[in-house]
Amino acid sequence: MIDASSEFDLVVIGSGPSGQKAAVQAAKAKKTVALIERDRVLGGACVHRGTIPSKTLRENALRVKHMRQNAELSNFVLAEDTEMATLIDRLDEVLLAHDNYMQKQIERNGIVRIHGRASFVDNEHISIEKVRGEAEVIKAKNIIIATGSFPRTPDNIPVDHEHVFDSDSILSMLYLPSSLTVLGGGVIASEYASIFQALGVKVTMIDRYPRPLGFLDSDLTDKFVHNFESSGGTWMGETTVSKVHWDGLANVITECEDGRVVKSEKLLCAAGRLANVSDLKIDNAGLKLNERGLIPVNDELCTEVSNIYASGDVIGPPSLASASMEQGRRASCNALGISVGQMNQMIPSGIYGIPELSSVGLSEEQARDKYDDIIVGKALFEEIARGQISGLQDGMLKLVCDGEGKKVLGVMVVGEGATELVHIGQMALLANADVDIFVESIFNFPTLAEAYRVAALAVIGQRSAASNAF
Amino acid sequence: MTQQTPALSAQAEALSPHLEAAIKSGELSVPMLPEVAGRVVSLSQDPDSDASQLAQLIQGDQSLAGHVMRIANSAAYSPNGSMVSLQQAITRLGMNLISDIALAASISTKMFDAPGFERHIELTWQHALTTALWSKEIARVCRRNVEATFLCGLLHSIGRPVVLQLVIELSRDKQLPISHEDALALEERYQKSVGAAVAAKWDMPKIVCEAITFFDDYDNASIARDQTTMVNGGAQFARHSLSPEILDLDTLTGLQVLADLNLYQDEVERLLDMKDSIASTREAMSA
Repeated sequence: MIDASSEFDLVVIGSGPSGQKAAVQAAKAKKTVALIERDRVLGGACVHRGTIPSKTLRENALRVKHMRQNAELSNFVLAEDTEMATLIDRLDEVLLAHDNYMQKQIERNGIVRIHGRASFVDNEHISIEKVRGEAEVIKAKNIIIATGSFPRTPDNIPVDHEHVFDSDSILSMLYLPSSLTVLGGGVIASEYASIFQALGVKVTMIDRYPRPLGFLDSDLTDKFVHNFESSGGTWMGETTVSKVHWDGLANVITECEDGRVVKSEKLLCAAGRLANVSDLKIDNAGLKLNERGLIPVNDELCTEVSNIYASGDVIGPPSLASASMEQGRRASCNALGISVGQMNQMIPSGIYGIPELSSVGLSEEQARDKYDDIIVGKALFEEIARGQISGLQDGMLKLVCDGEGKKVLGVMVVGEGATELVHIGQMALLANADVDIFVESIFNFPTLAEAYRVAALAVIGQRSAASNAF
Repeated sequence: MTQQTPALSAQAEALSPHLEAAIKSGELSVPMLPEVAGRVVSLSQDPDSDASQLAQLIQGDQSLAGHVMRIANSAAYSPNGSMVSLQQAITRLGMNLISDIALAASISTKMFDAPGFERHIELTWQHALTTALWSKEIARVCRRNVEATFLCGLLHSIGRPVVLQLVIELSRDKQLPISHEDALALEERYQKSVGAAVAAKWDMPKIVCEAITFFDDYDNASIARDQTTMVNGGAQFARHSLSPEILDLDTLTGLQVLADLNLYQDEVERLLDMKDSIASTREAMSA
């Protein structure tokens, strides 16, 4: 039986990045909190099937790539029968450490952890089905839905988790396949495609759009595609898949509408993710999904029912762990009437592909749509001392500024360290600094941060040229 | 979670050190894995292999080829019984399934020489095969590796017939006659360590050895904890489907391993809906 009279100030459903932060925030405010998680372990898909496992694999893929690049020094060849377990070797340690840390945090803050599957009885009562079948009902003054998302499977893709995988099951493969087809061109598709390609798997990426990661500027995605293809991968853009089937022999067959057929040993379907609400019975609480299958919320992250909030993937984009954590914290504060400032909408996005890509603020395309005139400055990593030392190819930093060449509107980076490097630009954006700050400030040398100075000089050069023209 | 082994009689206790010595010295009369089975396993794990190689391999063993064709044409796989060639069977059923069938067919109860225990070994083998089939479906529900789970399930109790064979040999050599019950108690006591030794001798993947060793202590398995938990769960489903009078539905659904697999009631029910199809597959594979 659940203690504390089974009544809580706040009940959080889901223990992913969003739910965890929401629960801890409320506990810190001395409220009684219950955290419901359907899995045995805390952390959600982000920790156990997504972000952390894929980044662990990526780290080793990068090592393999570097060893290949240094083949002259080490004569390195990746064994043909390399098992996936070897490639995500530290994952168990990472997950165990994370689980321990989370458990301690939950205990330390007096949060009641409930293992079971939640469904709404009404807007104040939640029924919890335990894994052995018995159910309990708890009462909550406020509720936060943070149940995350699960992979979308189109009707024509028979995901069997044996030959055809989704993004939650792809890492259950025990060995590296010789070939892999990746359906999709979004973040998950691009990350896995480039990681497996770096590991020597022959990867074919198929998507209906002309280029992957369409929300980024084309000069960045061109770098990504160039790197992917020069490693042996194949990008098939503007291609619609009509049918996927296992040939019963050794290949997954992907038939495209233009008549092309792609054969591969395994296939990953990364066709987006859907809000994970199927077991919640949200209609009992007076909630409805919107046309995109998401839980609609207002700026306060409150749903159409005043005591129920939602945060993280379940409310839709940006669907980033970083944003979800902050949403969880804010949803908790809002639900409990704790004053919280305006959430900064300037959220960086990071794509942990090989190479990394990251952006913050407006892209060049968005800036051109919004302003009449803009100035763009670029720095190529191969022209930066640190880039030359490290042999970095396909790296670039781009600064997007207003038409006067002063105000920074956005920063985009592709190449090693992009997801860290972007934060320098983010701070400049938040401080509303002029682009000159990158020239007037001194960075360590040699570092890739020098790219900011080079790109800023390119902007300043253009604005000077423009002013001299009059 | 750890299973209690039955108490032994004085004679069985006397035989026990000899068994332990034989296990420790590695002097187990482990039956040779039929060559074809070993090659089927390596072929099915070789990403560069193809169907024609598998067909060629199976065709090289007349009785195995006949067995695979019989299964392929059984009601479970081909309601019309229309398959005329091995190549066609592989095309229709898939390389992995044919590998599973060939492996199950080539490791048979006839490999073991344990007079008086033939029926027991037959039942053990039926349970192992059923475990393999259930484990595979559990893996699918849990989104864990489906491919490798069949092999782990199939071999999880491979030590049992080998222990019985050894007990009979030692009992004869050391002139320590023991009862049927004692032999089974010794089987229970040593089957895991012997099973792991057999799997190692047969060059099975490490996860198979771990699934055997940690079968009822799966939380302490390292590289194959998920696989081992699924095999344990598969074994319980197998026990229920083969002997519902021993393990009834209520007991099955109340087992800790199902909770450890995080299988909710509706997921268990969906799995149980597959009872008939798993039974017909097992019958076909052991035909």
